Amino acid sequence: MPGHRTKTFRTSAAALALCALLAGCSGSAESADGGKVVLRYTWWGNPDRAERTERAVALFEERHPDIEVRTSFSGYDAYKQKLATQAAGGDAPDVMQLDYRQIDQYASGGVLLDLAQQRDALRTSAIDPGLLATGRVDGTQYAVPQGRGTETVVYDVAAWKASGVPLPREGWSWDEWADAMRALARKTGRPGSVDPGQSEDAFEVWLRGQGKSLYTGDGGLGFTVDDLTRWWTFTDVLRREGAVSPAEQTTQLDGSVENTPLGRGTAVSDFNWDAPASGYAALIEGGVALGPMPSGADGTPGQYFKPSMFLGVSADSPHADAAARLVDFMINDALAGDILGATRGIPVNETVRKRTEPLLTGFDRTIADFQDSLEGALEDPPQAPPSGDNALQTTFARDYDQVSYERMSPREAAEDYVTEAKAELRS
Amino acid sequence: MTTTDVPAAPDRRARTPGGATERRPRRRREGAAWVFLSPWVLGATVLTLLPMAVSLYLSFTDYNLFDPPRWVGLRNYTQMFTEDPRYWRSVRTTLLYVALAVPLQLALALLVALALKSVKRGKGFYRSAFYAPSLLGASMSIALVWRAVFNDGGTVDNLLGTGGWVNRPGWSLLAVALLTVWQFGAPMVIFLAGLQQIPPELYEAAAVDGAGKWRQFVSVTLPMLSPVLFFNLVLQTIQAFQVFTPAFAVSAGKGGPADSTLVYTLYLYDRGFVASHMGYASAMAWVLLLAIGAVTAVLFRTSRSWVFYASEGDR
Amino acid sequence: MTSLTVARKPVRWRRVALHAGCLAALLVMLYPLAWLLATSLKPADEVIASLNLLPSRLEWSNYSTALEGVNDVSVWRLLGNSLLIAGGAVLGNVLSCSLAAYAFARLRFRLRGPLFAFMIATIMLPHHAVLIPQYIVFNQLGLVNTYWPLILPKFLATEAFFVFLIVQFMRGLPRELEEAARIDGCGPFRSFFSVVLPLTRPALITTAIFTFIWTWNDFFTQLIYLFDPDKFTLTLALRSFVDASSTSAFGPMFAMSVIALLPIVLFFLAFQRFLVEGMASSGLKG
Repeated sequence: MPGHRTKTFRTSAAALALCALLAGCSGSAESADGGKVVLRYTWWGNPDRAERTERAVALFEERHPDIEVRTSFSGYDAYKQKLATQAAGGDAPDVMQLDYRQIDQYASGGVLLDLAQQRDALRTSAIDPGLLATGRVDGTQYAVPQGRGTETVVYDVAAWKASGVPLPREGWSWDEWADAMRALARKTGRPGSVDPGQSEDAFEVWLRGQGKSLYTGDGGLGFTVDDLTRWWTFTDVLRREGAVSPAEQTTQLDGSVENTPLGRGTAVSDFNWDAPASGYAALIEGGVALGPMPSGADGTPGQYFKPSMFLGVSADSPHADAAARLVDFMINDALAGDILGATRGIPVNETVRKRTEPLLTGFDRTIADFQDSLEGALEDPPQAPPSGDNALQTTFARDYDQVSYERMSPREAAEDYVTEAKAELRS
Repeated sequence: MTTTDVPAAPDRRARTPGGATERRPRRRREGAAWVFLSPWVLGATVLTLLPMAVSLYLSFTDYNLFDPPRWVGLRNYTQMFTEDPRYWRSVRTTLLYVALAVPLQLALALLVALALKSVKRGKGFYRSAFYAPSLLGASMSIALVWRAVFNDGGTVDNLLGTGGWVNRPGWSLLAVALLTVWQFGAPMVIFLAGLQQIPPELYEAAAVDGAGKWRQFVSVTLPMLSPVLFFNLVLQTIQAFQVFTPAFAVSAGKGGPADSTLVYTLYLYDRGFVASHMGYASAMAWVLLLAIGAVTAVLFRTSRSWVFYASEGDR
Repeated sequence: MTSLTVARKPVRWRRVALHAGCLAALLVMLYPLAWLLATSLKPADEVIASLNLLPSRLEWSNYSTALEGVNDVSVWRLLGNSLLIAGGAVLGNVLSCSLAAYAFARLRFRLRGPLFAFMIATIMLPHHAVLIPQYIVFNQLGLVNTYWPLILPKFLATEAFFVFLIVQFMRGLPRELEEAARIDGCGPFRSFFSVVLPLTRPALITTAIFTFIWTWNDFFTQLIYLFDPDKFTLTLALRSFVDASSTSAFGPMFAMSVIALLPIVLFFLAFQRFLVEGMASSGLKG
């Protein structure tokens, strides 16, 4: 049991410390007030999500007077770092929001509780089985998806329409997309899209359109140097033609919509997940619309409904039962669903989704409609990526930088990437 | 306390070589020293030495933060030196950064400190204004400002016509270095404090001897300021080798474009916290410690010939 | 170079040139700050995209949003927390670092050389490498999610930077001072408190100012150790306006950073004048 040996290490490291330091001076936050069970619950997000989450949690506490929930949140990058430190220090919160890419690592590292142990408190029957399966590692359910999102071609409606180029449509191929980008560049004088070459996510959609995948079922690499060379050659050519953004703009992507070429008004469209795409609406005068991702040449869809966030319970939690109840409430409770809306993506609980969707307004409405248009057409999501993927995502963008600044050929960069990926996945 | 003795004219009357004159109180003073040191000893043991020992141990392991560390001997080190081209690129980038940032920042800080010493009116205003950028740290907002000012079509591009800096591999490191240089407030304040500590009598004496401004600078200011100059040099060099925040800020944590701002510590962070190879990151940290240690040792060695301590009365 | 002003003609000239030079340099130096201020008043679509210094219209709502605080925690609470941490850190650093520095600079004891070298070495290890071991220590002590991990280390002189700084200043003091004190019958403690400490005031003020500012801006440590939002600081809170996975609020984030800047500006303005009085007023001149 790896978890135990980790603890031995931690304890022996700390034992030395304890000898040296006076053991007194406690100020521990763990002590419960008035016999209440105290749960710690963390997530990442913005103030709006925080506000809704607080309201939902308050409702939960009302229903369970014996449980007190302490919540905390930060932005995504900060959150990842903080959670990793907490987990490594043996101090993971009872309930934690997790990303697709974190699950494998946290599960195999012994941080997460096998949720089957709490089957009574945490119901999963109303969740689409394909989505639910994404929270499994080696057949064990470690996390439950909360919401779903999908990738989209998000575009400046006014600019695209004015150009006269046909709008994105369901089932369009990558070649048709490329032609559209060339046409947009010609007509509008600015690149049609941000260069997708740097995005592992876009590459995955492209791969899936050809019936391949980023990772094999057993966590190996699902594609070859040739595949990646073709992808990067494809985007490299478009970049040289000016159909997608130049390296000097692409390199400035930092995850926020504001720092994308579309957000700055220097490109007509972008690839993004549907939820953050709402950010463009405030930046672009004529508003934005969501189009489907390009498919493979034979119409195989590459995009999929991705669980946007998961909830997991700490394996060390002394109150696993209460923690499971909280997870259950956040995912399955109708009133909680009303409060949370689509702040963590469109709800995965089918009942909650049917109840919540008609109530959505604004951009949430746009997202819900977009997802409805894809319903039934997509294939099941892949299982959670192996832990090495965390490193590879940045390597992917880094290696493509070498291509777009013309320091390496697509093949050289692809060879670099695959070598590193294989080493990463082995370890 | 009526000492007006001027240390620059070393009066060695009461020199106590090796403290030999005070045989009796010596033990008591040794005890006193440990009393003064006790908080430091406690902190250094528990909060510094212990974590350092752990990280040294981790550098010989494969440790992904989640599973227990697995002993791999020297593998992290050999991998770093022989199989990781990005590692060597980060070393080169860091050396270039040190060579750019340290001299520029120290020169600017000293220049402004000297200028401020001559200013009579508005001293407080100037001091505060020059320090103002350093109040910010490399926060996220200053990162965004920097990326705007040094972007295509940003202020610098408009003035110099160079294109953006933050998005061109040949220029980006300079933008990072300038962020550090811009925040020269800390060394400046230390220089100012050092200048304040120089007894005015020394200048008076020098002026009486007929020394001009330049002469006074060379024979009074520089030697009297040398401990502080040395401090700034050592610390800025150490900090420059460890530069993280400005590079992180300017490149949004990526070290781009095309790895041109992927400095050593940023790569270390990337390995340790993004890629979860904490063993490898620890090995990187210890190599850096040894490298900085060597550089610092050289600086200390040379300091004997140019740093002047009034308390020691001679060089 | 002090201008030992013997009133000569070129002196006025030089003074004008000096001021002109300083002001020109300031113009360049303060430009990014002006940008920061201006951006805090830009409407959402200009915060990042616009490369003009001035906003097209003033968006004061950035400030009202920022002033609402984050996650039901008011700005005043956040401010109070920041002040508490920074204040504690200043007290701790000034006390503990000057004590240790005195021992290193003025007292003789066995292992002084090696310990000093070790102290300098502790500055050389990147803190990312010791982050997790330190976290484990504090977690085992039950001090995570309290302010202790942020303040306690300062009382234990863990910031060797400041120890070294004060050492350098103390070594600059003539040894005769303490010898005179010793002849007057002062032990090491008396001579530390009544002779050496007052003379080191510029270094102590420097330590206080830097500690305050650096602690205030130390996002990372605060992020790792603080859990409850009502323990959060201004520096932590302003980051929570930005989240790449959802909609960010860069405008309020800039407004919040201007708000967070005010206390350190005030702190600096209040204490910078003490940097001036070095020897002149500290008793050496007698």
